[in-house]
Amino acid sequence: MFLLLPFDSLIVNLLGISLTVLFTLLLVFIIVPAIFGVSFGIRKLYMKTLLKIFAWATLRMERGAKEKNHQLYKPYTNGIIAKDPTSLEEEIKEIRRSGSSKALDNTPEFELSDIFYFCRKGMETIMDDEVTKRFSAEELESWNLLSRTNYNFQYISLRLTVLWGLGVLIRYCFLLPLRIALAFTGISLLVVGTTVVGYLPNGRFKEFMSKHVHLMCYRICVRALTAIITYHDRENRPRNGGICVANHTSPIDVIILASDGYYAMVGQVHGGLMGVIQRAMVKACPHVWFERSEVKDRHLVKRLISGVKGTCINNTSVMMFKKGSFEIGATVYPVAIKYDPQFGDAFWNSSKYGMVTYLLRMMTSWAIVCSVWYLPPMTREADEDAVQFANRVKSAIARQGGLVDLLW
Amino acid sequence: MGAAHSASEEVRELEGKTGFSSDQIEQLHRRFKQLSGDQPTIRKENFNNVPDLELNPIRSKIVRAFFDNRNLRKGPSGLADEINFEDFLTIMSYFRPIDTTMDEEQVELSRKEKLRFLFHMYDSDSDGRITLEEYRNVVEELLSGNPHIEKESARSIADGAMMEAASVCMGQMEPDQVYEGITFEDFLKIWQGIDIETKMHVRFLNMEAMALCH
Repeated sequence: MFLLLPFDSLIVNLLGISLTVLFTLLLVFIIVPAIFGVSFGIRKLYMKTLLKIFAWATLRMERGAKEKNHQLYKPYTNGIIAKDPTSLEEEIKEIRRSGSSKALDNTPEFELSDIFYFCRKGMETIMDDEVTKRFSAEELESWNLLSRTNYNFQYISLRLTVLWGLGVLIRYCFLLPLRIALAFTGISLLVVGTTVVGYLPNGRFKEFMSKHVHLMCYRICVRALTAIITYHDRENRPRNGGICVANHTSPIDVIILASDGYYAMVGQVHGGLMGVIQRAMVKACPHVWFERSEVKDRHLVKRLISGVKGTCINNTSVMMFKKGSFEIGATVYPVAIKYDPQFGDAFWNSSKYGMVTYLLRMMTSWAIVCSVWYLPPMTREADEDAVQFANRVKSAIARQGGLVDLLW
Repeated sequence: MGAAHSASEEVRELEGKTGFSSDQIEQLHRRFKQLSGDQPTIRKENFNNVPDLELNPIRSKIVRAFFDNRNLRKGPSGLADEINFEDFLTIMSYFRPIDTTMDEEQVELSRKEKLRFLFHMYDSDSDGRITLEEYRNVVEELLSGNPHIEKESARSIADGAMMEAASVCMGQMEPDQVYEGITFEDFLKIWQGIDIETKMHVRFLNMEAMALCH
């Protein structure tokens, strides 16, 4: 018992010191730059280091797979069909032997059912052929040490497993608490800050403070996700009085866009934590939160973020809104956002994961890397109706982001 | 602020229409992008990028089948200029294997669909009948890769096949009766005994079987 006491206080002391150090580091390296909008470049350095490690890991995997003669399933250039590795002639003989009811000693040169075979072979090559696969090798082939992206994680080598284990440790025990702390700080600052600003009298000072509170908090949230964003064509950034329209891949889009510009948002009313945040934000800036069953006051809002959402069949107001933002007659600033899946997949499959699970996945990935392109502004031409204009904007965004303009 | 990926609802729609799983659809979509060069539609020329297809004797018929309005279910005849991803999947769905969970009726339907695809390949002028000329054309193409068979033999094979078809479908014919051509019902009769299910499908790797560890 007596021996424990000195150790006890030692542990407590150590804990106290390390917490203080951590907190100071946090403040200096992350929060202060966020407030002033500068960056030390730590995240870029982090990204470069990670890339080097991933490249090494992939080489090890390939080498290991060759040694063991495994078939390495690379997630993005997977073969999708099982092809017979025999030659054309052999296969024809095989078919004849099995299907032919004619005399077996007389091997016919041709059978009418050959057409099935050639048809099938043709389809197979169209679906999946070796040559084209090889030429598209610049697609994602390296493993990013997240087992959730490698569907065929097998034991390749001790070093690789150790590295992966280390990665898990770092991500879950170091990065995750750090990010949660940052997110907490960011959100509470946002709520407190906007409430305080709300009490100021309306005027230029209020606008100024509101803008900076919003920006600061979004920047902290961006760091909370370790989002490394590259902005292109910043001269096309949305200006006052315009509407910003972006392709909407995940809820993180809002944070990414809002950390680079002061937007009034339009969105659906949520309950819970999101609701608290929304109500606080609206005190400082004229955001518009609507129930799904009503669409109103869109003229009040000076600048909007609207997601160009896909069809939501049983929700007519969202679709109406989508058309509505193109009817107002304001200038539309299209923005294309594209995520690099190598560091963390930002795609939210809402049928598979809930919001909390999704956020946890985000916070335990290495980083969210994305590119934002600000496209030149577009206005509706005289002979276009709202739907045609919307389609034009849509294809401009799709083309920039390299996304195939899927069915919509 | 709703957040589902806009494409996942479309994927579900496609799943329902074509019967592919969502993983297969995503893989095929990547393939589509490769073939089209990241464009939203594919034209005939894009199939030239598949070198292995050159070895196939009936490649022109196969490529044509992709643009055939009857296969795309867009009309009774004619060719489309370009196809989008949904059309691509529609054509691919003709080659889905027969599901073991299907009942008799569905199996029969699926078999009929596959045979109809083949029928359209033979019947190039879309008049609903395979005439002697059309049949000869198919046999010649099939044998074009084989150096041992001459054109004459190809013609006689085709003529023999047509006569057999006529006897199956019309029974004994009067001397001045003319056999117009093979209709789809006759076509079904000819292939009745042969199980085409195993011959006309492409085996997809089961993506979901692979473990997904977190």
